[in-house]
Amino acid sequence: MMESLAISLVNAVPVLSGVPLWTITLLIMVMVAAVVLTFALTYSGLATYVERKVAGDIQARVGPNRVGPVGILQFLADGIKLLLKEDIIPAKADRFLFVLAPYLVFVGSFAAFVVVPFGVGLIASDLNIGIYYVMAITSLVVVGVMLAGWSSNNKWALLGGMRAAAQIVSYEIPVGMALLPAVLIAGSLSLQDIVRSQGGLFGIFGWNLFHNPFTFLSFFLYYVAALAETNRTPFDIPEAESELVSGYHVEYSGIRFAFFFLAEYGDMFVVSALATACFLGGWHVPFLDAEALPALWGNLFSLGVFLGKTLSLVVLMMWIRWTLPRLRVDQLMRVAWKYLVPLTFFNLLGVSLWLLLFHGKGIPQMIASLFG
Amino acid sequence: MGLKDYLYDIWEAVATTAKGMRITARYGVDPRETITLQYPEERWEPSERFRGFLYNDIKTCTSCTMCVRVCPVDCISLESVRGADKKMVLASYDIDIGRCMYCGLCVEVCPPKSLKHTSGYEKASVDRGELILHFIHEDAGEIKARVAKQVAEAAAKAEAEKAKAESEKPEAEMAKDGDPDSRAAQKDAPPPAGGNPEGGGAAEKKPGEEKE
Ligand code: SF4
Ligand code: SF4
Repeated sequence: MMESLAISLVNAVPVLSGVPLWTITLLIMVMVAAVVLTFALTYSGLATYVERKVAGDIQARVGPNRVGPVGILQFLADGIKLLLKEDIIPAKADRFLFVLAPYLVFVGSFAAFVVVPFGVGLIASDLNIGIYYVMAITSLVVVGVMLAGWSSNNKWALLGGMRAAAQIVSYEIPVGMALLPAVLIAGSLSLQDIVRSQGGLFGIFGWNLFHNPFTFLSFFLYYVAALAETNRTPFDIPEAESELVSGYHVEYSGIRFAFFFLAEYGDMFVVSALATACFLGGWHVPFLDAEALPALWGNLFSLGVFLGKTLSLVVLMMWIRWTLPRLRVDQLMRVAWKYLVPLTFFNLLGVSLWLLLFHGKGIPQMIASLFG
Repeated sequence: MGLKDYLYDIWEAVATTAKGMRITARYGVDPRETITLQYPEERWEPSERFRGFLYNDIKTCTSCTMCVRVCPVDCISLESVRGADKKMVLASYDIDIGRCMYCGLCVEVCPPKSLKHTSGYEKASVDRGELILHFIHEDAGEIKARVAKQVAEAAAKAEAEKAKAESEKPEAEMAKDGDPDSRAAQKDAPPPAGGNPEGGGAAEKKPGEEKE
């Protein structure tokens, strides 16, 4: 995709024909990456603000309201504060790993933005193994978290890191299993293809969510498991500020702590984006085909729709966080292994059988064919 | 665990989560639930019986020292002198509000009810000395000197009047009493205007203050 963009750019601007093609391709890649990263960081900053506002509302408080109108610039103030703070590395810490860990976590969560299908043509790289890529790259997070816990040379951090490892490894199975029905229906691992497979004239009923009872269940299973993967309450066992002080990032301060913090919000977005793309029809809305619109408007419109759906899911995560108390470690493992894993397997089997028996047709499709 | 229990577990988890989220949603959406007060801009009205900083209306204070005596932590100190009209005049009245525990005993005990709790509660200072509330802003020494002067003047006036009266009708008095000794005794007695000729000798001082 980047190369075709580069070729069309060279064709459009003849001055560039002297420059080797790979340089232009590389430049375009860097630019796209910069745009995506900028978006991701802005989103993360604003998400921290929204989270605090939601928490305030739910707890009958006001939340940040001093910096800028209704406190919207609070995240900038916090960011500057974190930048200016002293960057402390404990004396007995493993310096190399300690420094490395935040970057692994950050990269693991933000690299997943690359395959998020923001719109009709708005995807940094439409990998044909999109879902696998997300699952693989987000596993870097668990490595980073474990390294952070280990290298801090602090018992709370170590406990947090170990718990995080156990939790993320456990929950990756149901996450993957819950996403597979969407892959089965679309017949592709590319997220853009999965989104396209949910279009059509059925409007909201084209979404995988309503394809059949199993996919309906699958969405909720995915959401629960993904929530656990982001290490947020009620699954925030690795952080558990009331028992582990703050878990694996207890020794981090300043900008390194900010990396962990941003990664958490990045994770939330990626997880919600996957849920949107796989179950909620991505950038599809009823009765309006974004692909039929002119390129610019189609892209803008689909971007808006996609962000709307994804951010609602992010807000839902915040709502859950400020509602439910934390699970105990054994309860956490029980949820994963006794409930989520068997149920997602059952679902996968159900969807496969459904597709086999009804030749890939969903319930809305069958109802539609009944009426001709 | 049977299948029934298993399914019931799932049902319970979903139902209780939904219940909790309904409650938090209500709090989240309803602006009336927000009870935070934006403190410096808005504030609660303290209740009528709120015990805030103390205020002494020195015009009605009779310098009876009841408050000084009753305070369990010795934060009130006052100095007074007897004035020309035989009433006590306050030379200084200080309350160390940093030490006060707002027990209200001094307010209870004050006979003319001149000492009161106000609703004030905001005070910050970088120095403990600033926490001492002064109710008399004039210098204590000046007041004492002034009162002593008044007392002396009054005494002199009385003396002059007496001398005048004596010179006017010495015979009559002599005739009445007939005893020269009684006149001498009268001269040695304290001046009729009262008060201390030295001025400020009747200062009430708290032992606590001396310790400081
Ligand atoms: S309120 Fe209590 S502690 Fe404070 S000055 Fe009065 S008697 Fe003393
Ligand atoms: S008790 Fe009241 S009248 Fe007596 S000295 Fe104290 S404040 Fe003055």
